[in-house]
Amino acid sequence: MSSSRLEILNDGGLRHDARRPYELRSTSFELSTHPSAEGSSTVTQGLTTVQVSIFGPREPRQRSNASHDRAILSVEVGVVPWAQGAGGKRVRGDKRLQEIGASIRQTFEPVIMTHLYPRSEIAIDVQVLSADGGILPTSINAVTLALISAGISLLDYVTSISIGLHLTQPLLDLSQPEESDLPNMVVASLPTSGKITLAQMETRLHVDRFEEMLNLGVEACKVLKNEMELVVKDKTRKIVDRMEIKSGAAMIVDE
Amino acid sequence: MFVIKTVPPSSTQTFADDMPATHRKHQIEIDAMQVDEDEYGAGPSKRTIVTPGEIITSSKEYMRGHGTYVEEVNVVSSVTGTIERVNKLISVKPVRSKYTPEVGDLVIGRIVEVGPQRWRVDANGRQDAVLMLSSVNLPGGVQRRKIESDALKMREFLAEGDLLVAEVQAFFGDGAMSLHTRSLKYGKLRNGQLLTVPPQLIRRLKSHFHHIPPPCGPSGVDIILGLNGFIWVSSGTSQEKREGGEGFDSEGVYSDKNDDITPEGRQAISSVANLIKVLADQGIPLTDTLIEEASNWMNQNQLPIGPLVKNDEQRLLAEVVGVDVTE
Amino acid sequence: MVREIDPPTIQKDFLLAALAEGKRLDGRIPLEQRKVEYIFGEELGTVECRLGKTAVLAQVSASIVKPRDDRPYEGFLLINSEIGPMASSVYESGRSSDSEILITRLLEKSIRRTEAIDREALCILAGEKVWQLRLTLHFLSDSGNLLDCASMASMAALRHFRKPEVEVIGDEVIIHSPEERAPVPLAIHHTPLCLTFAYFENLPPILDPTHLETTLCSGTLTVTMNAQREICVLSKAGGTPLAAEEIMGVVTVGVERVREMVKGIEEALDTDKEGRVVEVR
Repeated sequence: MSSSRLEILNDGGLRHDARRPYELRSTSFELSTHPSAEGSSTVTQGLTTVQVSIFGPREPRQRSNASHDRAILSVEVGVVPWAQGAGGKRVRGDKRLQEIGASIRQTFEPVIMTHLYPRSEIAIDVQVLSADGGILPTSINAVTLALISAGISLLDYVTSISIGLHLTQPLLDLSQPEESDLPNMVVASLPTSGKITLAQMETRLHVDRFEEMLNLGVEACKVLKNEMELVVKDKTRKIVDRMEIKSGAAMIVDE
Repeated sequence: MFVIKTVPPSSTQTFADDMPATHRKHQIEIDAMQVDEDEYGAGPSKRTIVTPGEIITSSKEYMRGHGTYVEEVNVVSSVTGTIERVNKLISVKPVRSKYTPEVGDLVIGRIVEVGPQRWRVDANGRQDAVLMLSSVNLPGGVQRRKIESDALKMREFLAEGDLLVAEVQAFFGDGAMSLHTRSLKYGKLRNGQLLTVPPQLIRRLKSHFHHIPPPCGPSGVDIILGLNGFIWVSSGTSQEKREGGEGFDSEGVYSDKNDDITPEGRQAISSVANLIKVLADQGIPLTDTLIEEASNWMNQNQLPIGPLVKNDEQRLLAEVVGVDVTE
Repeated sequence: MVREIDPPTIQKDFLLAALAEGKRLDGRIPLEQRKVEYIFGEELGTVECRLGKTAVLAQVSASIVKPRDDRPYEGFLLINSEIGPMASSVYESGRSSDSEILITRLLEKSIRRTEAIDREALCILAGEKVWQLRLTLHFLSDSGNLLDCASMASMAALRHFRKPEVEVIGDEVIIHSPEERAPVPLAIHHTPLCLTFAYFENLPPILDPTHLETTLCSGTLTVTMNAQREICVLSKAGGTPLAAEEIMGVVTVGVERVREMVKGIEEALDTDKEGRVVEVR
C-alpha cells in the first residue's frame, strides 16, 4: 500500500533482505528465559523478538472466572515502546493487541489439556520486544515453547508462520515492509496432524491462490516444529542429566 | 511439492546452547525406538526424552498414564520429559511442572486469606490450599478443644502473609489440598528466610527438617525443604528447645517476634541460602546431605561472607557436586 | 464481560444429537442462513438488517472535512460499532470483551481495509475538502451471528446512501441540497460480506450459528468474500483444528452464498427505490 518503491522480488529471485521466497528468517528459540515464571521462552524470527512467560496453573486472580471442570486461560499482550524503533509507526491502538491476545487464547484453548487443571488459571504474558513483521506468528511460536517449558500438557506443538503473495509467487515469513505491501495471511497449525488451528487473512485474494498459500503454510509449520523440537530436546536432556546427580549418601525415598 | 529452506544452523541460528552435532543423534535414537521390554528400563543417562505430540507407542498393550493421551491406537506424549514405565503403564514425567501434591507431603505455604473456619494458603499449587481451623494445634496443648471464640481469633494465630509449614492431609473433591499442622514440628515460621526453587529439585526424603550444626553459625542453621519448592532457612534451635525437649515453648508457636539472632547467626543463614540458590540455579536436586556437604566445604575454604563469586561457585559445583560449569 | 450461565447439559446433548442427524433446532439444514430482511429507513443510508432475531441498524452520514496531509486525495470512512447492553445483557457499555473486539475488528477489516468504498471518489478539492463518511452501527438484538448481520446492514446502508452533489468552480465549492439536485450514490468497488461458520467436534460445519449454537460450538470461522470470488478477510482464531481441505470446503460454499446475498441486497435496494422518489423534477 505505502512504500511501493520496495522491490519485493528482484530479477535474481531474491527478496529485499536477500532471502529466497521460501526461506525463513534466521530464527532462534530459547527456553526458560524468565527467572520466576513457571515457563518462559524468547523467540526471535529475523528482527522480531517476543518473550513469553507462563504463570500457573494457579489460583485464578478473579475467582469468579474459575471454571469447575477446566483451567481458564488469560492472555496479556504488550509491546514495549521501543519495539518498532524510533522512527517506526506506533502500534495502532489497543484493539489490535487485544485481538492478538484473543487469537492466542482461542488458539491454545483446544490445544492445552485444560481439563487436567480444573479451577485454575494459566496466565500467558506476551511481550513484543522488537517488531519487524509477524508479531502474531512469532508470539504463537513463543507461547508453544513457554507452555512446553512450564510442563503444561499439550496435544501437540502449535507453530505459526506468515505467508505473502507477490504476483503469483508465495513468500514465507514476511518482514514488516513485505507485510505492508503484500496480500498476506497467518497460519498456525498442529504440525503432527497438519490441521490448521488459526488462519487469518486481511487482504483481498482470489480463492484459487488461497489454497496454495494455506498448504505452503502448513508445510512451513512442520519445518518450524522440527527446529523447535531439537532445541526442546537438547534443553531437556541437560535438565535430565542434572536431575540424575545423586549426592553422596542421600536417602532418596521415591523412585 | 516444494522446498522450504531454513537458514543453515552454522551461520545464523543462535540457539540457546550449542546444539547440532550431539542432538541429531537423539533424533535417530528416537526414530529407531521400539517399545521393547528393555528400552524403558535402560540406565538413567539413556532415558528417552519425548515432547508433546510425539507418539510413544502404537501398541494397544500399554495403558496410558500421566503426561500422555491416546489418539486412535497410539499413546502420545503431552509433555516434555522422560518416559517412565511401570509394568504396562506408560507415563511421561515432565522435567518442569507445577508442584503436584500428594498426601503426606511436607509443604511450606503463605496465608492469603482468613475465611470462615479456615485459612486459604498459597502453597505453590494449582489452586490455593486450605487449612481448616480444626486441623491446627492451638496454644494450650494438643488436647485442647476448639471453642467459638477461637474462630473469632483466627487472625491472631495466623494472619495474611504469615508463612507456615504443614503437611498435606487430604484432597477436596475439586483437587485442592487440605493441610494440617497437628504436630509440634509444624506451624508458623519465623527466624529465617524463604527461598523458592523449582519443585522438581526437592525429592521425597525421610525427613525434610534438617539441622546443620555449628560451626555453621553459633547455633547452627535449620533447613526445611518443602516439597512444593519452598525452602525455609532459619536460625538453628538447640536440642532442648525443639519440640518435645525441655525448653520447648509451646505458647510461643504463634509468636510473630523473631528471636534475637546474632550477626554471625544471620551470616550463617544467608550463606546457606546462597548455597541453595547456587545449586538450584544449576538444576541440581537438593538433599539435606548435599546442602550439608556444601556448607562444610564453605567453612573449610573460609570463604568471605556474602554471595559467592563466580569462581567460588564453579569450585563449589566441581568439588562438591562434581559438575563442570566452566564452559 | 459478564459470564453467561452455561446452557443445560440436556440442551447441549439434544443440539449435538440433532446436528449429528443433520438437523438444527430451528429447522434449518446445516448450510442454510436464517431469513434475511432489510428494512429501509426514511432517510437514505439507514438500513436495519434482520437475520432471524438478530438485528443491526446501520446509518451512514457524510460531512466535509480536511484530508490528511499525506493523502490529499482521499476521503474518510469511519466505522462506529460499539456493542451496548441493548443487544444482549452480556455486553457492558464502555468495556469491550474479547468477542466484541473480534466483531468490531473484523467489521473494520471487512469494510474499510478491503477498500469497498472508493475513497478517492470522496475527494472534493484536493488537499482542502473531502467527504468523511460515518457508518454507525446499532446492535439492536443479539440472537447469534451479529457479525454477518452487521456486515449486511453496513453494505446495504452504504449502497443505499446518497451524498449531496457538489460543484467545484475554481476554489468555490457549492453543495446542492437534495431538493435542488439529485444526490449521488457512493462509488463502491465491491460488496464484501461476512459469512460465519460454526464447528462442532466431528461434525460438518454449520452456517449462520444462533446464539446457542455459538455458545456450544468448538470454534468459528468467518470468511468475508465478494461476488468476484475473492476472499477479503478470513479469520479462524483458534478453535477446533481443521484440515486445509475443510477450510477450502467452507470457502467454496461461501463463494456461492455470497453471490446470493449480494443479489438479495440488490433486490431489496431495487424494491426500495421503486417506492422512493430520489430524482427531483
